[in-house]
Amino acid sequence: MTNKSNNGFNTWQKSFEKETKKNFSDAKSETDEGIDIKPVYTRDDLENFSFVENNSLPGQWPYTRGPKASMYTNRPWTIRQYAGFSTAEESNEFYKKNLESGQKGLSVAFDLPTHRGYDSDDDLVMGDVGKAGVAIDTVEDMKILFNNIPLDQMSVSMTMNGAVLPVLASFIVAGEEQGVDKSLLSGTIQNDILKEFMVRNTYIYPPEPSMKIVADIIEFTSKEMPKFNSISISGYHMQEAGADNVLELAYTLADGMEYVRAAMSKGLDVDDFAPRLSFFFAIGTDFFMEIAKLRAARTLWAKIMKNFGAKNERSLILRTHCQTSGVSLTEKDPYNNIIRTSYEALSAILGGTQSLHTNSFDEAIALPTDESARIARNTQLILQNETGVTKTVDPLAGSYFVENLTEELSKKAWDIITEIEELGGMTKAVKAGIPKLKIEESATKKQAKVDSGSRVVVGVNKYKNPKEPSVDVRVIDNNRVRDDQIKKIQAIKKSRDTKAVEKALTNLTNAAKDETNLLIPCIEAIKLRATVGEVSKALEQVYGRHFAKSLSVSGVYGKHFEGDEEFMKVESKIKEFENLNGRRPRVLVVKMGQDGHDRGAKIVATSFADMGFDVDMGPLFQSPKDVAKDAIENDVHAIGVSTLAAGHKTLVPELMKGLKEIDPKSKIIVFVGGIIPEQDYEFLYENNVSAIFGPGSNIIESAEKVIDLISDNLSKE
Amino acid sequence: MELVDKIIKGERAAIAKAITLVESSKDTDQQISRELISELIKKPGKSIRVGFSGPPGVGKSTFIESFGSYLVSQNYKLGILAIDPSSQITGGSILGDKTRMVEISKNPNTFIRSTPSRGTLGGISMGTREASIILDAAGYDFIFIETVGVGQSEIVASNLVDIFTLIVGPGSGDELQGIKKGITEYADIFIVNKNDGELKMEASKTAADYKSALSYYKKLDALEKQVLLVSAIEQTGMEDVIKTINQIIDQNKLKGIFDERRADQLEYWIEEEVKNIIASDITKRLTSKGNIPKYSEKVMKNEMSMYEAVETITKDTLKQ
Repeated sequence: MTNKSNNGFNTWQKSFEKETKKNFSDAKSETDEGIDIKPVYTRDDLENFSFVENNSLPGQWPYTRGPKASMYTNRPWTIRQYAGFSTAEESNEFYKKNLESGQKGLSVAFDLPTHRGYDSDDDLVMGDVGKAGVAIDTVEDMKILFNNIPLDQMSVSMTMNGAVLPVLASFIVAGEEQGVDKSLLSGTIQNDILKEFMVRNTYIYPPEPSMKIVADIIEFTSKEMPKFNSISISGYHMQEAGADNVLELAYTLADGMEYVRAAMSKGLDVDDFAPRLSFFFAIGTDFFMEIAKLRAARTLWAKIMKNFGAKNERSLILRTHCQTSGVSLTEKDPYNNIIRTSYEALSAILGGTQSLHTNSFDEAIALPTDESARIARNTQLILQNETGVTKTVDPLAGSYFVENLTEELSKKAWDIITEIEELGGMTKAVKAGIPKLKIEESATKKQAKVDSGSRVVVGVNKYKNPKEPSVDVRVIDNNRVRDDQIKKIQAIKKSRDTKAVEKALTNLTNAAKDETNLLIPCIEAIKLRATVGEVSKALEQVYGRHFAKSLSVSGVYGKHFEGDEEFMKVESKIKEFENLNGRRPRVLVVKMGQDGHDRGAKIVATSFADMGFDVDMGPLFQSPKDVAKDAIENDVHAIGVSTLAAGHKTLVPELMKGLKEIDPKSKIIVFVGGIIPEQDYEFLYENNVSAIFGPGSNIIESAEKVIDLISDNLSKE
Repeated sequence: MELVDKIIKGERAAIAKAITLVESSKDTDQQISRELISELIKKPGKSIRVGFSGPPGVGKSTFIESFGSYLVSQNYKLGILAIDPSSQITGGSILGDKTRMVEISKNPNTFIRSTPSRGTLGGISMGTREASIILDAAGYDFIFIETVGVGQSEIVASNLVDIFTLIVGPGSGDELQGIKKGITEYADIFIVNKNDGELKMEASKTAADYKSALSYYKKLDALEKQVLLVSAIEQTGMEDVIKTINQIIDQNKLKGIFDERRADQLEYWIEEEVKNIIASDITKRLTSKGNIPKYSEKVMKNEMSMYEAVETITKDTLKQ
């Protein structure tokens, strides 16, 4: 509401309307979250709050202003860079270098086979070993990973959700064999399975047994590992998958509530474990919105935990790690990413994060090099040491705009949380596929805004660089990594006591049949040198492997292009094609290997369908051979491969081989989209890939290229 | 025809191309398609065609994944024609059926083809019958035709298969009154899915409700309807399904019902084709003579009644 009694405001409004030639009431801009941002905020905008309390202080209820009274004035946030690639040996070297250059905590990225509970020698994971993170097959790998890094002094964060049991067990045993008792280990395990079912897809078991495993870990750590965060409830991957900030906030907190209930159902008191719950949010480019999100998250969590009957103050406090947005990075004009990441980092700091990862500018293309990792780390060192942002706690408190935005976000998120609760909680909502669908809808809208130019992305859809710089990237030879890992597995399998391992694995399978805590038999098996894959399979025997149902949205993309010339041009090309060929152009969109990031594939599928293609969706985790069979049986014109985990150099040639094996005369076109370093382009073209679409590709232009390629290909017959 | 030999040899790409031909709306494709089907029909295989239908959300694809895996493990060759309901009036379709058929889609003894329904009656009319003839000639033991249950489509689908199966979920017994007598006539087997976990009690109750409701029709029908309980997720009840299918097929063959059905279906097919040809011929004539706009103008001007116009146009159009 505007201040009607205030003459000053009326005068301002008149000046505003004169300058802009717009009515003040029309001069709003709507955010992705559906919040109207006004051109000016006043003291009146601080009234009628139901969540935010004016005059509250840092470290005090409702903790909007920060979990601690002193915040960065006493100790700045932890610079915690997420990294890991190829073998444990190479990652260990990289970690040690980073720690010498001023990094304070470690954050381990595992490769996809480890996430999904497969050993490196499994045929299913050919293209993925050591690619998007480090390969861990046994406790020996874990020991190498932390070689000369004392685990009683270093806090270690591990992004692991699917194979949490064997990985956490390996960490505990590695510590033990380093001479560090588990009670002294500090750090965090992500252990947030619900969001995997929504967006990231690196789950192994169905939702219910997966929730039991989460609760087992919370139970074990609350009793045995007092310095260890049992879970990192993550919204990050939701925003990465296209969720707006309200969805990210609401679903993350709703996930948190579900974990609290799961732990309480094990008979734990809420205050026994709640102080060790931690959070993880993404920080995108919407500067003030991101600040407000962190403030709103703390405010809402305090309220939620109070409702759960928490008495310990530390149970009420939301502590979070943040990471700058990966999806905001562009392949085009990549040095712009340094600037984007800097603003995002500042947002996270003004929002009061406890630790931060800043992305390297080349991460839209490949894994960071030593040089790009250094720039990313320095972004934070400069903020800490040169800008003065650490000198005042929550400096934006009292800002009419930021406080109002915090309240608005809280309200909108609370409505969604209430809806989920009415549905019976997040496990049920996830099983019904509702959050996944909402996030995909939001993602498609965002993509359409960029493609239609209504959202500017510098260097991508405006102010393009006429001379794209070429960037050196880190290259992982995954075949070599895989060979190394296989040798290590074989050596361990020879030297270990096979009978004892088998017995330990049987014990684990039996434990899964009743209610005992699974981490204990898991530690036993890992100690005896059982592999991550063996442990996962022992549980799989009881729980089975989960396959997600795939729902998809339609019509969302096309709606943004009513009357758009480019869009109609593609539509009419497709109609022409149909008249000429007796059917629509048909495209199979697939992910191959263990890479579960399916946002890109989903957006391509729904937008291509909106333009008139018939789109076949393949299941996740397909092998190239399965894809070839699927493509040929459905007689598609083209296959679109979405790749974000660098497996394409192995998987795409395999696909080509698979197609020729079934049909030597196959005319099916293959195009590839996703994160592909320019250095790989030539290799892919040599392997008969027809087109490559990097991050930030305009989908309409891509669709036009695909339909043209298909038509050309058919006319050659 | 070279294509015929390749299909009979079971070449995957040839089968796929042939299905594209029979689904194509292009005149020249339809011409080839007719020749192809005429050839293939002379070399029938031995496949049993099974229809699966049911309302959305009962787990049809999951059931087919589960049941299909069982059949393949028994060394049967399985062809699946999935009519994907996700169609739009404008724009193309997203065919997501296969995301729920992960295991069987990998198996070398399966052939799975999705077809967008394009809003027709469960999508059946465009080439599904012809596609099943192609798979039959290619040596598949079972051909599944999966459609989404939207009333009429079951009846159309049941005209293409030897045995017709309706999949329902627990708790659907209450909707029994809503099930038209027609469908119970056309369906041979009722499968109550989701007989697992919390829903087990509900599923048995639903099966009992179906059994008692169906006993009504027993006297009217020559055959007893079967009601089966399965869990697609836990993969239970699959042996019962195949046993029941085989029993009904054997029984029908013995009583001559099997051949009778196929003869009826052939009649229906011929009738449909003749009607289609006549209809498209008539449409062409109507357009070329331009009678409809001419006479509707007269009706508008009150120069003749609507019915007089209809009669005049009909006579003129049918006149050679």
